[in-house]
Amino acid sequence: MAATAETVKELEKKQEWWWAAEKKRSRRLDYLRKAMWKKGAIGGLYPAGLQIDLERPVMQTEKAKELESSADPYVIKFAKMLAHVLDNKTIFITDRSQLVGYLGSAPNMITWDPTLAAILNHEVFNDPDSLPQPLDESLKVIRDVTNYWGGKSDLDKILPHMDLGDVMKVLSGAIGWGVPLGRGGYSGKDYEYIMTGVRAFEDIIEELDRRIDEADARSHRFDASREISDLIDKINNWEAMKITLEAGIRHARRYARLARIIAENFESDAVRREELVRVAETCERVPAKPPRTLQESLQYDLFIQLFSRNEAIEGAWPARPDFYHGPYYERDVNIRKTLTREEALDLVGEFLIRAAEVSQYKPKWAREGLQGIEGTWVWTLGGVKKDGSDACNGMTIALLQAARLVRVANPTFAFRWHPKVSDEVMRECFECIRQGLGYPSMRNDPVLVANAMHWHGHPIEEARLWVHQACMSPSPATKHGFQPMRMANATANCAKIIEYVFTSGYDHVVNLQIGAETPPVETLETYEQFFDAWVTQMKTIFTILVRPVNRARILAPKLTPRPFLSAVSERSVESGLDVLEPSISRGNAWITAFTWVENIDSLAAVKKLVFEEKKYTMAELKEALLNNWEGREEMRLDFVRNAPKWGNDDDYVDSIMLDCLKAASEFSHEIKCPSGNNWPILPENVSGNIHYANIVGALPNGRRLGDALYDGGISPGPGLDKKGPTAVLKSCSKIDHVTNGRAFLLNQRLSPTQLSGEKGYQLWKTYMKTWADLGIDHVQFNCVSDETLRSAQRDPEKYQEVIVRVAGYSAHFVDISRKTQDNIIQRTVQGL
Amino acid sequence: MATCSECKKFFPLEEDRKRGDCVQRVIDPRQAYYQAKPVTADKDAAKCPSFEKR
Repeated sequence: MAATAETVKELEKKQEWWWAAEKKRSRRLDYLRKAMWKKGAIGGLYPAGLQIDLERPVMQTEKAKELESSADPYVIKFAKMLAHVLDNKTIFITDRSQLVGYLGSAPNMITWDPTLAAILNHEVFNDPDSLPQPLDESLKVIRDVTNYWGGKSDLDKILPHMDLGDVMKVLSGAIGWGVPLGRGGYSGKDYEYIMTGVRAFEDIIEELDRRIDEADARSHRFDASREISDLIDKINNWEAMKITLEAGIRHARRYARLARIIAENFESDAVRREELVRVAETCERVPAKPPRTLQESLQYDLFIQLFSRNEAIEGAWPARPDFYHGPYYERDVNIRKTLTREEALDLVGEFLIRAAEVSQYKPKWAREGLQGIEGTWVWTLGGVKKDGSDACNGMTIALLQAARLVRVANPTFAFRWHPKVSDEVMRECFECIRQGLGYPSMRNDPVLVANAMHWHGHPIEEARLWVHQACMSPSPATKHGFQPMRMANATANCAKIIEYVFTSGYDHVVNLQIGAETPPVETLETYEQFFDAWVTQMKTIFTILVRPVNRARILAPKLTPRPFLSAVSERSVESGLDVLEPSISRGNAWITAFTWVENIDSLAAVKKLVFEEKKYTMAELKEALLNNWEGREEMRLDFVRNAPKWGNDDDYVDSIMLDCLKAASEFSHEIKCPSGNNWPILPENVSGNIHYANIVGALPNGRRLGDALYDGGISPGPGLDKKGPTAVLKSCSKIDHVTNGRAFLLNQRLSPTQLSGEKGYQLWKTYMKTWADLGIDHVQFNCVSDETLRSAQRDPEKYQEVIVRVAGYSAHFVDISRKTQDNIIQRTVQGL
Repeated sequence: MATCSECKKFFPLEEDRKRGDCVQRVIDPRQAYYQAKPVTADKDAAKCPSFEKR
């Protein structure tokens, strides 16, 4: 952009980073960024202009009907449905773009997959604001599609095989969220198989052909055994994988053809014509063959991500883009010099935009829980290579710089810090944080490598190749290490643990006995008995959430297979088993622990005010909680003000945190995933603290029904950490970040004024050194002033681009609810 | 009866001229793009609002 350096400087001085970015980025990036349709829901509703795409569900339904009389097994029918969509969906190429591919038939379309769950389909039917006009015609199409899939969707297929008591408790929405589906959640990928440049789709097809031929020959010898019998299933799986890979190649070539048609028939600008020919050549090359250039590598990755999302609803985007695209960046920019840094930055920025616009229709509870974003696209940067050496490269820097230029809220980055990270890279991370993106979050790599080995037994060489499977949880992108699906319903609304101690497990919000029938709380005579009741409720809730996930994972290979994800996974190509088959996975499960710290502050308050000081009886407290503290404001304030709070380096309450984590982590070793591995807990929230505000009753930490919960992980309650940033870190460091859980989210707010200039960087670096030395595994920062945030509340139109860190993700401030906005403003601004 | 094959926006496949793509320019409130949708050459285009005689 033609902007004077002075103008940019002025804007940066005023910390109006979003306007400065607009002036600094290239014309292409500026166009593409403004061309992007933001997909994140606002208050659970999709923004104006977005529409539910009816093209795909109609195609899926047509193909399913056509295949009804076919003798094909389900996995092949499913692969053919996927191929039918890829062969026939409307595709488009946006002006000035160099990377192509989108799930929907137009840029403002949200795709809807009717094959997943009838309950999701009914939500579409009742979401008229997002339906294309004329409404009557859309409703007719939806009615036909929904009627067809009733009783045939994945959820319909698995429910008869589940414990319905467990499922009902999960679906009540009180203790967790999500449904246990093999095609809905967070999908890891075997990047070591598919993204190292060694092979691409044609190579895998060749391998599949060889395996099919061998198995076919073997199954027709004079022999009969279980193994021979199983070959039939394997051949079917391999055939299905092949169908999806071939469809992927054809789909890419449709883009190549469109790019050539535009270049030859419509485009008058010679430079753009050349670009379009390059787009065509790229799509003719990948994903059929391994990429050779940065553009091909990015396009290849994008195709894989899109194909996988054509197969399943993926609520996360596990990735390590600097590690896998870095060699191509290095070759093009520094060795062959076929790309200037600026040209490379254009490609990288566009890659972020292409990811940011991906959207799949999700139920309202998911939209409320992920305010302002489509899913948690937390991309992993930095870290180490298999041999332990620094993995940062030119692409790491390019991604961090591109993020500041395009300023998308999703994807965000999480940076794997380790002692060998260069000052240059740390400065780039700091710039992103200082400029208010809220990312990268900082992860302590040595701690998390050790953690991956401790909890799931990943060998060190694989543990070093970890990526974020969702917001926080590490999972190696390796043959046996990656987890193909993490179902979101192993997400615990932990505030219910302490609530149920007071109600003997009865949930007064949803009117259901969900927790354990522990003794009436007023009969508990000691704190130890009270804590035992807490442990019982914790175990009950975790078990109810984990059992359906285990069951669904066992059912998945047969009932809800994933032929495409299998096709890009070495273990499935090798074995002929679906990627969801637990026996070929090492296991990397975790329980997300929402609203965790409320338990700690509540236990501390009860211990001090009821058992020790005896200011109140348990019966009094129980009654106050059941009445939502009504008429007991003075008592409530006593519980807020005069009980110790987590995050102030106070051993009284910090030791309770350790007791709770010890109990949870011991139980994590008892409950097992279908691969036989552990279920560690991982305290963090997305927007769960707001989503659950009206679901969690009054608590002994002084919270009332309806109040926002804490912002999550091991972050202290907003405004309750009164002793400064070092005290917060010291409290957090009392936790063993290797053995007490899988990871621990820590939100901190810093003052943008204090972080300005070189002095700001040095202050932050010193803070980060303390954080690293204390062995804390995670920290993320909000660095936007109260003044800016309040101005944005008053005048949202002017502050459309202000980004904040919500929890494990970032969002545009104006896209999140007022309650979440207020919750972020209430967080303590720490002076360093 | 007008068919897609008679339309300016129809681009047949080289290997099978009975099939092809309907390629159109679209300008939405945020961006401009070209879109392609597979069609058959003999598809009835009588009611197609974007039909343009070749």
